[in-house]
Parts: sequence; structure tokens; C-alpha cells
Amino acid sequence: MASLRIDDLQKRYGGIAALAGCSFDIETPGIYGLIGPNGAGKTTLFDVMTGIAPPDAGRVVLDGRDVTGFAAHRLAGLGVSRSFQECRVFPEFSCLENLLFRAQEPQQEALRLLEMVNLASYATEPAAKLSFGQRRLLELVGLFMRRPSVLLLDEPAAGVNPALLELLTGFIRRMYEERPCLTLVVEHNMEFIMGLAAEIVVMHQGSVLDRGTPQAIQASPRVIEAYLG
Amino acid sequence: MLTSILEQTVNGLMAGSVYVLIALGMVLIYGVMHVLNFAHGVLFMLGGYVCHFIFTRVTGSYLLAIVLSMAVLAAIGIALERGVFRPLQGNLRNQVIASLGLILAIEHLVIAVWGPNALQFKVPATSALVPLGELRFPVQHLLVIAVTLTVVAALFIFLRRSKFGTAVRAASQDRQSAMVVGIPVERIDWITFALGTALAALGGALIGPLFLVFPQMGDAPMVKGLAGILLGGMGSVPGAVIGGLLIGVVESLSTLVLPTDYRDSVAFFIMVAILLVRPRGLFGVRVRGED
Amino acid sequence: MRIAALILLVAALGAAPTVSPPYLLHVLVLCCLVSIPAVGLNLMLGYTGLVSLGHMAFAGIGAYTAAVLMVDAKLGFWAALALGTLAAGAAGGAIGAVCLRFRSHFFMIVTLAFGLMLFSVMNNWDDVTRGAAGFPGIPRPVPLGGFAFGRLENFYYLALGCAALAFAVQWLVVRSEFGRILVALRQDERLAQARGINAMRYKTAVFALGSAIAGFGGVLQVSFLRVAAPATFSLGESINAVLVVIVGGAGSLAGPALGALVFVGLPEYLRVASEWRLVVFGVVLVLLMLFAPRGLAGLLERVWRR
Repeated sequence: MASLRIDDLQKRYGGIAALAGCSFDIETPGIYGLIGPNGAGKTTLFDVMTGIAPPDAGRVVLDGRDVTGFAAHRLAGLGVSRSFQECRVFPEFSCLENLLFRAQEPQQEALRLLEMVNLASYATEPAAKLSFGQRRLLELVGLFMRRPSVLLLDEPAAGVNPALLELLTGFIRRMYEERPCLTLVVEHNMEFIMGLAAEIVVMHQGSVLDRGTPQAIQASPRVIEAYLG
Repeated sequence: MLTSILEQTVNGLMAGSVYVLIALGMVLIYGVMHVLNFAHGVLFMLGGYVCHFIFTRVTGSYLLAIVLSMAVLAAIGIALERGVFRPLQGNLRNQVIASLGLILAIEHLVIAVWGPNALQFKVPATSALVPLGELRFPVQHLLVIAVTLTVVAALFIFLRRSKFGTAVRAASQDRQSAMVVGIPVERIDWITFALGTALAALGGALIGPLFLVFPQMGDAPMVKGLAGILLGGMGSVPGAVIGGLLIGVVESLSTLVLPTDYRDSVAFFIMVAILLVRPRGLFGVRVRGED
Repeated sequence: MRIAALILLVAALGAAPTVSPPYLLHVLVLCCLVSIPAVGLNLMLGYTGLVSLGHMAFAGIGAYTAAVLMVDAKLGFWAALALGTLAAGAAGGAIGAVCLRFRSHFFMIVTLAFGLMLFSVMNNWDDVTRGAAGFPGIPRPVPLGGFAFGRLENFYYLALGCAALAFAVQWLVVRSEFGRILVALRQDERLAQARGINAMRYKTAVFALGSAIAGFGGVLQVSFLRVAAPATFSLGESINAVLVVIVGGAGSLAGPALGALVFVGLPEYLRVASEWRLVVFGVVLVLLMLFAPRGLAGLLERVWRR
């Protein structure tokens, strides 16, 4: 089971400090929520953790191994799987081809998962033909074809209508039951994340502000001030 | 020795002025529309041909021929922007390939209509020699430099002081924000394209009387204009000016130490060197990355 | 259905020398020669999305390497062919590794710059390349078995065989996992990396392979023409190569063949003067970008479906 330690990460973009000494530790598996006002540094944190952007300082430690600055493909090889805020799928590949690309699960599994998210009838259709919400589901399903040890979901609920959202939430829960792994979910949709995550980490202005159960966080005066102030 | 250096420096400034005119057009278009118009060289060449035509067939006034050819090319530029580049907006690969198609079409159209041979472009008014110390330069040489510097100055004032110029700068820095603020980016697109094309035409019209007018005359200058933009920094207007002039001067001075055959290659080697050592150029503005 | 068409095509091509006049055969040889570098560029541009504006410079590296080996070192054609191809591939790997550090606009500019640089070397390094006038005296291959390649019909079979080899390599690449990765890289490189693909390694590999294939074609070309001239490997020719790939259909198996046929064969058939031919091609290229980006292969595919 994977453990993750973020150690005093710093990252500047021009004059702006996107990450300013961000640190936290995750030792136990589970679904963790990562929330915070806009500009808190959540996506930057993901970019650093997945090798898209190297940090200016600090460390990312995965399973006790320092993986700071590793290239994106290398981290993917270590089991770090990520979904993107803007939702990325291969538009020309069919849904099935999308799932089977560099997959570590067989075709039957791909078909089973497609069935779970009501996309089985689109198996041979190019992904470009799907609606945005369906593409979100496809992107999510694709992550599980690679047996991830760390799952990073960047605003999976954004732009998804309530009906599909229910399907999405159910899928994430079910996948977690079947293959539990360390899951970190960035979200703005409070209802979605509070219902899904066991523990919430709150970021503000590039560092961790608070951490706790959904109930504790919702009641925390510091968190409320960060969102309102 | 010193006279040779001076002579080549003036030659270099002249050649550099032409590169600046091309580079300015390309960098303005790149800044606003985020597309590198490789066809700028053939537009430069077309400007030379149109000016020649107007000068020899329509009016004996060189000045009028220059102005009219700039107008004609500006109109062509608008047509290209609306007909080719606007519809392909957002698809860089297709825009570049379309510009390659334009290069082929326009260059060979000129050959088909005017023939493959060079045309003489004699402007008696500017053939007179001007003494500069021991050296003598045709008036045209100095005219090229003077006109380019005037145009550059005018362009700077326009970009910095006028309302429209500021809108152009805003649109090239952040198109989305410019749209939100109400800046008419589509109008800026075609006006910038027209301006860029007119500058290229000016270059062709100015260089014609010095070096003949022939179909391939824009090929090397386009690349050197590109080298100038790279040296100055992609997206930087002052960079394009300094870069273009530097390329011209270095190229000319190199003939003092290298065989003249290699003159053209100097710009290519500079390009490769910049890209390897400092891709951002001297005053680079754009951040490389997921471009 | 497709297999039948393919067999018919192969039969027709095989029978060509017996039924066509020398003029037509000459045109077919040129088509083969143009299609080979186009296959290399198709793998790079069509399948992987790398817009290289200096492709023909690598054909030149292959050609001049072979020229020097055959004329100065007195090496045989087949060895020169192999070594020329290797040299072009190695240069492609090295230069590609540099160019691929850049993206989009900058990548195109670097490939353009390297192409120009190599061209100026071919044009000016008189001692080795014989300069702008060209490198004369390049021999046809030594007779093999009963085949004397000085004869057009026999060289035609050689050119056809080499083109077939290039297309076979293309087919093998495209249907392999490597090919799938290239297509994924073209669609979304960041996503491919997130799926564990080392993008740099694959792009460099296809750049090297495409350049090697270009070099292969370059050697054949100068053996046919018996001379190596820098003009054959200029920026203009690199642009023509892009034209051939796009018009034929970038990212399709038949694209390079269709493009070569149209580029070489059509004007000969229509007996159009070469200047207007290129005007039309330029306009066609622009129109294709606007209305049919998938080129001839894309149009044919639509017709086939109906």
C-alpha cells in the first residue's frame, strides 16, 4: 500500500508563489479530499507530484522513495495515475482503444468497467463523439486499467451533470472497494467531496491550512475565513 | 582596413533594414495571431514585383509606386487573413502547411506570369552616389536605412501612444483578456496582418532597385528575418529590430573573414546557435512550453 | 475486397515495363523515388505530428554519403546504400534529439535551420561534395545476376522493390505497438506521458527512422540520376515533401504513394507546364487545409465507405 509525503514544496510562477512550503503526510490508504479557494495551489501540487513541473525546492516522497523531479512518464511507471482538470482522452481512439492503451488489465476488464459506467455501447466509437461528462467517465475508467498505487483526481466533478455525477461517485466508491489505493481528489464541489472523502486536506495560498474529517473541516473557523476572507 | 569595416557596416545596416521590415511584419502577426507566417518572404517578393509594375507601367513616380504597392499588398494580406488564416485559427499545423502552400502558389505564379528571369528596376532618382568619407554609396542604400528607421520610429509611437496600438499590444499579450475587456480582436487580426504585409511590400519595393527583382528574392530574406526575430526574442518588437539589424551587420562583416559563398549561411548558423544556447533570444517575451 | 485491389495493383506495376513506353516508365521511377522520402516524412508528420521543414536534407546526407563512398572509396552500390541509409538515420537521431527539445513553432524553425545549414554545407564544401555544380559520376548498381541496372526497365524494378520495402517498413511500424504510441503522441503528448510513455525517446526514434528512410531514397535517387546536386535537397524540396505527404493523406498508409503519383504523375499526364503545376499544387494545399485536411486518402476513404 502506498504512502505519500510532501515535504516543504516551493514553486513560483513568475512573481507568484503557487506553492509556499506545502507539507503533508499520508500514511494510511483512503480517499482524501484536497480543497481550497482558487489559487491555493492544488493543481500546481498535482503538476509537481506527477512530474509535469519540477518544484523550486522541497521533496515528494513516495513509499519512502524520493521521487522529486522525476519525469512524468517515470512517475506513471511507478503507479502514479492522474486525471486532468480539463479532461484528457485520446479523441481519435475508440473508448476501448483508450482503455487498452498501455493497460495492465485485459480487454474483458475494460469491457466490464465500460459496462459499469454505461459506456459499453460506445466501446468502438471514437472518444471525440462522447459528451463531456461521458469523457470524464472514460478518463476515470482509463486510470484503473493501469493498477494505480496513487490516484490523483483533478476536479473530476467539474462540468458533469447531476445524473452522471451520481454514476461517477458510485464508480469511484466501487473501484476503491475493489482495489483500494491512496486517492487524492481535488474538488470545488463540496457536496461531492464531503460525501466521498474520509479525510480532507485544506490548502490556502500555497500551503496546507488544516486537515481533518469533513465535519471538522466544515466547522473550522480558519477554513471558513480562508474561503470568505 | 577601417574603410572596409565601415563599408561593410553600412552594407550590413542596409541589408539589416530589409530584414527588419520582414521581421517586424512576422513578429507583429505572431504576437497577435500566434501564427508564424512563413509566406512573408513571398509577400515581400510580390511587393517588389508590384512596385516594379506600377513604376514602369503606371506612374514614373517611385514614391507613388511604393505607396500603391504597399496598399495592394495590404489588401492581399487582408484577403489571406480572412480567407486562410482566420478559418484555420487554433490549428497551428494546418496554418503552417497552408502558408507553405501559399509560398508555392505565389512564387510559381510570379514565375508563370513574369517569367523566371530577374527584372531590372532602375530608379534614376536614387542611383546617384553619396560620398561618405572615402566611400561612395548609392542614395538608395541610405534611403533604405532611413526609411526603415522612420517606419520603426513611427511604429513605436503608434504601438505605445495610440489607442489602437495599445489594443494591439494588449491583444498580443493576452487575447482572452483583451476580448473580455471589449477589444475587437478580430479587427486587430486583419489590420495587423495588413500592416505586416505592407511592411514586407515596402521591403521589396526598397530593395528592388538595388538587387533586381526575381522570384526567389524573398526566400533568403524570410529566413534571415526569422533569424532576426529569434535573436531578438520571439514576440519582441524591439527585439525584431535589433535582431534584424545585427544579422545584417554580422553577415556583411563576415565577408571580410570568410569566403563570400558562406555569406548566406552565417544567418543559418546564428539561428542554430541561438536555439542551442539561448532560445529565448535577447529580449524574449514568450515563455516556451506547451506552446 | 481490398486484398483483391492490392493484388491487381501489384500485377499492374509488375507488368508495366512490358506494356508502357519508356517515357511512362521513367515517370513511374520518379514516382517511386519521390514516395520513399515521403514515407519517412509520413511516419514523422502524419503519424507522430512532427512538422519537419528540413526533411530532404537527410535524403541529402544519405545521397552524398553514398556518392563519396561509391566514387571516392570505390565501394559498391549495395554497401553504399546501406551505409548511406545508416548515416542519414544517425544524423536524424542526433539532430532530432536537439530539435525535439523544442515544441510547435520552435521545432519547425529548428528543423528549418538545420536543413538550411546542411544545404549550405552540401553547396559550399567543394572538396567533399563538389559544391553547387553537383557530384557527378555516380554509378548505377553493378549488374546483379542477369540484371543490368543501366537499363530503365531493370532500374524500374529496383526502384519499385525499394519503394515496396519502404512501404513494408511503414506498415510494420504502423500496426505495431510503437506505431500506436506514435499516434497517441500526436493526439495528446501530455496524456501519453501520464500513461508512462517516454515521449522524447519515441519521437527521437521516429525522427531517426524517418531520416533513415529519406536517406535510403536519396541514395537511390542519385544513382538513378547519376549525379548528386544540392538543389535536390533544398528547403524548396523539403516543402515539396510536406506537400506530397499532406496531399496524399498524412497518417495514412497509402498517402505517400498517392501524393507522389499526384505530384509527379499528374502534370505529366496533363502535360501542364511545371510552373502552373506548382501554382495549382500550392492552391490545392491551401484548399485541402481548409476543406479536406485528411488529403486524398481521406477523400478516397469517404468514397469507399459509401
